[in-house]
Amino acid sequence: MKALLRNTKWKVFVILFVSVWLQTDLVFAQKIRVITTIPDLADMTKQIGKDLVDVESLAKGVEFMHAVPVKPSFVPKLNRADLLLLIGLDLEISWLPPLFEVSSNPRILPGQSGYIDCSVRINVLEPPTRIDRTEGDIHPKGNPHYNLDPVNGKIIAETIAAALSRNFPQHQETFQKNLKAYLAELDRWIPRWQEMATPLKGVKFVPYHLEWSYFAKRYGLEQIGTVEVKPGIEPTPNHLVGLVQRMKEEKAQLIIYGPQSDRFPRQLASQTGAKPLKLPDMVGGEPEADTYIKMIDYNIRTMLGAVKGG
Amino acid sequence: MGSLVRKSRLVSGCVVLSYVFLLPRTGLTQESATDTLRRQVTEMQEQLKKALERIDQLEKEKSATSGKIDQLESAAAARIGQVEQSVRGVQGAPSLFNPAIGMVIDATAEHRGKAGGNFNFRAGEIGLSASIDPFARAYAFVNGNNDGVEVEEAAALTTALPWNLTAKGGRFFADFGRLPKYHQDALPFVNFPLAIERMIGGESQADGAELYYLFPTPFFLRATLGGMNKIGAENERVDNTKSRSWSQFTYMGRLSSYFDLTDNHSIELGSSLAYTPSVRISGDPSGSDRILSGVDMTFRYQPLASTLYQGLVWGSELFTNSERFPFDDGAKRRRGYGGYSYAELKLNKNWSTGFLFDYAPMVDNPSQRTLGYSPFLTWQISEFNRLRFQYSHLSNNFKADKAENGNQFFLQWTTVMGVDIHGFQIR
Repeated sequence: MKALLRNTKWKVFVILFVSVWLQTDLVFAQKIRVITTIPDLADMTKQIGKDLVDVESLAKGVEFMHAVPVKPSFVPKLNRADLLLLIGLDLEISWLPPLFEVSSNPRILPGQSGYIDCSVRINVLEPPTRIDRTEGDIHPKGNPHYNLDPVNGKIIAETIAAALSRNFPQHQETFQKNLKAYLAELDRWIPRWQEMATPLKGVKFVPYHLEWSYFAKRYGLEQIGTVEVKPGIEPTPNHLVGLVQRMKEEKAQLIIYGPQSDRFPRQLASQTGAKPLKLPDMVGGEPEADTYIKMIDYNIRTMLGAVKGG
Repeated sequence: MGSLVRKSRLVSGCVVLSYVFLLPRTGLTQESATDTLRRQVTEMQEQLKKALERIDQLEKEKSATSGKIDQLESAAAARIGQVEQSVRGVQGAPSLFNPAIGMVIDATAEHRGKAGGNFNFRAGEIGLSASIDPFARAYAFVNGNNDGVEVEEAAALTTALPWNLTAKGGRFFADFGRLPKYHQDALPFVNFPLAIERMIGGESQADGAELYYLFPTPFFLRATLGGMNKIGAENERVDNTKSRSWSQFTYMGRLSSYFDLTDNHSIELGSSLAYTPSVRISGDPSGSDRILSGVDMTFRYQPLASTLYQGLVWGSELFTNSERFPFDDGAKRRRGYGGYSYAELKLNKNWSTGFLFDYAPMVDNPSQRTLGYSPFLTWQISEFNRLRFQYSHLSNNFKADKAENGNQFFLQWTTVMGVDIHGFQIR
């Protein structure tokens, strides 16, 4: 009987221990788990959520955001997420939907409260007039690279704060306070950037991919073509010949590329005299650009350096 | 004279008086002017101070106003964005309830040794995928080729089960191994490895149900349990249309895991087992069991900063099959081992090359085997358009079919119309 009792005690102990271990989340205060598709959204979420959130980005800043590898290691992260923040406008179309199939987390599926599309309040540029694959890998809802315009950064921050507040109203006051502080910081930088970027007005440039449209509109740069034939389609010899001619005629000063190969930018540079410039399109794309504000600042300063340097 | 003197005295008195009175007044007047000047300076200073304060105030008001203008601009832009999204939503409304649709066309020009050449239309495969309701989604692949039209997959799966569970039912490619659940057009080379063709029966097609469980671990670990009529699109052991004892069904399990070794390197491991308690093969009335098992390993090098241009995939699978086959007057258990290993190197954004080694036994006589060596070169013209050239040399230790012997050449052209809905399982 004593042995049985001992066994029973042990069983109870083991069951309790395992239960507690499995439910650690309930025993200890749990941070809000936020997964973002790109690091820009993660940085802003940190600024707004501070200690209340545990945030991680699936894509790293150095990656090409349209073609992030579908890694199974993303699955447990998505499985445990309270919120999923994405750029939207089909930016993540090639790699996010397959992950939904296996993440077993209905909270973050499209249409649910934990699925936060940060593009909802953005004034979208370049909606295609023709939706056809002859136009390359176009985004039917418009250009998704709105994160490169800092004024859109304010809208993104507001969207994130609203999503956090909506899902976790008990912390609304904190989120709004942090948002106010972050917006104030952006408001200090935005006029400064606008003034700094004055020499960029009218500068003609060629991006590798159509990702600098929002930035160009904000600071008055003129885009006169792209290295790619169409979005996602590598340049053909004919396209390059035409582009070189146009760049010479228009006196293009910059060729901007990111995670793409520098082969074609350098080739174009040698033929036109324009400067090839590798710039981050996401936070973390360069070591100095490890926050959203630093990334915008880095991009403007680097462009200015290239333009002023002749 | 006296009056003159008096007048003089009076004038003098007045002068003196005036002097007495006026002189100090002059002194006082001089002091008062200084004060006035001082006062005026002070007043001017105050006015200047006020003016500067006013300028500061105006500047503050101006910056506040410009901030407000920025805010108004942002709000207006956001509102325009919302309206535009609504408009796009309304414009897209007629197709909102249509499933995502894609069609894969896969054809080869091929020469198979002594069997000769052929233009082989391998797939005109229509894929559909859509949510059913908040609790389920479904997908289907219907393939038409030289053998006719077949529903390759048509399955529904849950999206909202608790405890990390997902259930799937219908016809689907069973979660057995890695490449067996690929559609042929999605393979990294032209044909299924012979080991998969012979031991599984091509694609792991199954009519049945599967249950997946995602372990709550920090790394990816998933278990699958399933019950089905059979596994293998070309597995002829069981007729899908006939009812039979539950002992003649196939029950399978799989455990798969994945680890990021570094940001750029990863390894994926899997182990599968399919058990059929009683297989009825003509000539063997005993109806003994069949055990098909497999292990798979995939190593990937995907440098994050240049995923578009560089990469290496090394994938291998090993299968074992154990079952009884008719032998002389009775039946004998045969155990066969087979598998493949391949590596594919990405040369740049559009080009990749690789090599496939294949070892495939005949399941009813494992001592008869085929060795395959297949270098291949892929030109990914765009995401949805691909050309591939493959040379294969097949070597048999028995008299094999002409089409599975000697030197073979393939030129494959694969295109995708619409949406590619193959999803996670062929990532």
